[in-house]
Amino acid sequence: MMTTAVPPVAPGALPYDDAEMPLALVQAKTRRLVLRVIWTSTAFLVVAGILGLLLRLRQAEVITLGDNFWYAVMTAHGLGAFIAWAGFFLMGITFWVLMKVGLPIRSFVLPEVMYWSMLLGVIGIVLTTLLSGFGGSWVFLYPLPFNSAGQWSDMVTGVFSISVLLAGVSILAYCSAVLHTCIGPGLKAKTDTVGQRVGLTFGFGLLFPSRFKTDRGKIPYPVLPFAVNAVDMFLATLPFALLLVFQVIESVNNGFSINVLLAGNLLWAFGHPVVYLLLFPAAATYYYLIPRYAGRELVAGKAVAVAWLIALTMNLFVWAHHLYMNYPDGENVQQTLGTIMQPTTYALVLPSALSLYSIAATIWRSDFQWNVASKFLIAGIVSWLVAGLQGIINATAAFQETLHNTLWVVGHFHNMAFLNMGLLIFGAMYAFLLELMGRGWWNERLGSWHLWGTVIGAYGWVTCQMIQGLEGAPRRWAVLPEQYLTLTHISVGFLALLVAAQLVFAYNLWTTLRKSPFDDPGAAMQGGTQR
Amino acid sequence: MMTSLGTGIAVGYLIFVALGLIISFAVLWSTRAGRRDKGQGVDVERAEKAEPWWGVFVVGLLAILLGLTIWRAPWFTENDDPKDVQVQVTGIQFGFLVQPTQVKAGEDVEFNVTSKDVNHAMGLYNPQGQMIMNVEAIPGYTISRSYRFTEPGTYEIRCLEFCGYKHHEMIYPAFQVTA
Repeated sequence: MMTTAVPPVAPGALPYDDAEMPLALVQAKTRRLVLRVIWTSTAFLVVAGILGLLLRLRQAEVITLGDNFWYAVMTAHGLGAFIAWAGFFLMGITFWVLMKVGLPIRSFVLPEVMYWSMLLGVIGIVLTTLLSGFGGSWVFLYPLPFNSAGQWSDMVTGVFSISVLLAGVSILAYCSAVLHTCIGPGLKAKTDTVGQRVGLTFGFGLLFPSRFKTDRGKIPYPVLPFAVNAVDMFLATLPFALLLVFQVIESVNNGFSINVLLAGNLLWAFGHPVVYLLLFPAAATYYYLIPRYAGRELVAGKAVAVAWLIALTMNLFVWAHHLYMNYPDGENVQQTLGTIMQPTTYALVLPSALSLYSIAATIWRSDFQWNVASKFLIAGIVSWLVAGLQGIINATAAFQETLHNTLWVVGHFHNMAFLNMGLLIFGAMYAFLLELMGRGWWNERLGSWHLWGTVIGAYGWVTCQMIQGLEGAPRRWAVLPEQYLTLTHISVGFLALLVAAQLVFAYNLWTTLRKSPFDDPGAAMQGGTQR
Repeated sequence: MMTSLGTGIAVGYLIFVALGLIISFAVLWSTRAGRRDKGQGVDVERAEKAEPWWGVFVVGLLAILLGLTIWRAPWFTENDDPKDVQVQVTGIQFGFLVQPTQVKAGEDVEFNVTSKDVNHAMGLYNPQGQMIMNVEAIPGYTISRSYRFTEPGTYEIRCLEFCGYKHHEMIYPAFQVTA
């Protein structure tokens, strides 16, 4: 039986380990909330994964699906995998990591709103797509939702928009809860004012230690990406919510419409930052876990704090790189936005580059503890680097005539979302299950099979998509032109390996929950699950 | 088959991925030495001090890439010079209206691309199946893009912006370029 877990470290090795633990009741409630999010988001992964498999099997001509159903499946898969699985999981795990660095949830109202609004929103999305046929894709590029060519009604568009709005409410509640937790007394500002707390939360304590003093010695680094993400996603969700409200109005009032370019900008003001709803909490979790496996504090100084301040501001000014190809004659504003947002998007490379440096320096010549959890984390970090390089290519306007709306983009975001954040999620499950449930994983060998099957299967699949994209294969085509069929077939082979690896994981998890004894009561929190 | 730009992107990307993998491997390999000296054989303070310089290096690389590429953004590469032929391309669920349907190799052709209903995009594919042009078709707006054909043959226009349940069937199969 394997007992992969977050390892203990020598006293004083990590400055925030001795943070006062919250009341047992808060620990128990946090544990139950986090576990609920983990199981719910994992259920969403199962559904979204099956849908994704159907999409590729249809493209490979292994199965047949009705044309509109294929696009409805695509819509459900996109929202399901990105928001309902990866986003939701990382939203939940945020509160565990924050508690572990001495910042327990201060109120459970907002996290409960987060949970229930996400659940309701996902149910609405599933119903409107898979049952009512809404197939406008997860970006539902206006005015397509109201021009379905007879495939779904305006009312369905309205209900779909409300469902996505509920997911947006979940994100807003999450952001509020994170900020409420971080800008609390947990960071122990010496002068306990709101300004001092805010300054400490956003890294000013690292930059100006004499002006922003704390009794904690050093601010835990995971707080920075969590807090930056909370502010940015709060602000980025608002214009998106406005677009959704417009769509709800138009669904009941046909005379109402909005400008197409404005709609595109409102969409992408959210549509790009939402990537960081996954990446920034993932970075925070790496910041928390890697030092534990390396047995030393994260090697980071003021540069990392500067990088996160850059992310805080620039993240809100990058959306137009999704609209590089929208440069209508005489519309200089859109062209100017495109010109400005190439360097602002490049600026967002800095938090990733410095984080990777810090993580690498932390691992360098450390007595690193290798187990399934830490191997998943390492694989995720390497993918962060690889997908980040692809991101720089995507941010370059001059390359878009070759790449825009091709399968290259699909390969890229699966590389980033599944092979970076997804591997982190699996790593976090392997790492945290012992302390969340008080039981170790059933079989380490199965964990290794899961790792290698996932890495080889997923890299084989996304590499096929990226090559197809470079050859001009269009994205969002239910039936691809024949010239791309060979690589599609090859990718299905890799997908089969990926699916097999997830079945191994499911078996290991199921067996763990059923048979693994309660082997480390000390690691379980108050009220731990004990059968 | 990739275009020359596509091949260039792939080569550049693979070079940086290879470098990244070599560095990653070196970092992971170093933990063998770390095991022997219990993680004490590294000057953490020095590594922290070097971090800003790594940031400067990354910014420098990105600045070079920006300087090399921004001027090749599609909106900067268009000019107001008169063209030999104007081709009107209009997207409409689920087809393209193209007028005229034939041009000559060597002519400067300006495509004026728009849409009558939802967003579409004109992906222009040469006889070898390579995508040589990619222009959005936005309802209510026109985007003009110029191209000089060098190779006679039958070109294909495919929709590259998702536009509904027959998106994958939105193909104009026979744009002719004559000698």
